[in-house]
Amino acid sequence: MPSLATKYFGTLPYEVGGRFRFPYGIPGYEEEHAFVLLDVEGNRPLLFLQSTAASELCFLAFPILVVDPEYELAVSFEDLCSLKLETERQPRIGAEVLVLALLTLQPGRPATANLMAPIVINLRTRRGLQAIRTDARYSHQHAIPGVPQEVAC
Amino acid sequence: MLVLRRRAGESLMIGDNVEVEFLEINSQSVKIGIKAPKEISILRKELQVVQAQNRFAAQPVNLEKIAQSLENFKIDSSSAVLPR
Repeated sequence: MPSLATKYFGTLPYEVGGRFRFPYGIPGYEEEHAFVLLDVEGNRPLLFLQSTAASELCFLAFPILVVDPEYELAVSFEDLCSLKLETERQPRIGAEVLVLALLTLQPGRPATANLMAPIVINLRTRRGLQAIRTDARYSHQHAIPGVPQEVAC
Repeated sequence: MLVLRRRAGESLMIGDNVEVEFLEINSQSVKIGIKAPKEISILRKELQVVQAQNRFAAQPVNLEKIAQSLENFKIDSSSAVLPR
């Protein structure tokens, strides 16, 4: 089994089929096209979106419904096409798509989740992208009160 | 800020070599076309905001301290659906 160098957990075994493909990368990291989601015991609901090519690139994330149980997707027509999802309606979270909020947990700053641009992954095709909303309904720096600033780092 | 009124099909110039044409206008959105030299970067503003936030989010964190605070989160099993 191939192994994967990770940012936080040393080298882990992984299956190539477990990768998610990001054809356009993630904004700021457009050259990174493959990620795995690490669900490490003891860290739930925290998840780690680890690049398979760049060991030093790993995002921390929450399933979006953990941050906001009422969250409603607004994936654009272009992004739905790119994800090969039906374009007449929004996909169902958990059933058709995996939706993650990337977290910013830096010292001296309140912990925040990016609800304006969730990571959306088509569970059937394993293809993902960061779906940037064009409405102003959710913030890219949504405060997470459960993670107090003093323990953020 | 300079404010102008333009109709569909009209355009404007920024400097000598950037042309912005207003292709289609409706109550919700405006479709524009931009002709510009290759070296000029054109980004949706929200993309720039997300790029900056991602670079910030990718900075190393102290996992031990974060793990301590995770107990504050009650996990709803339906919301933490993960693929195998």
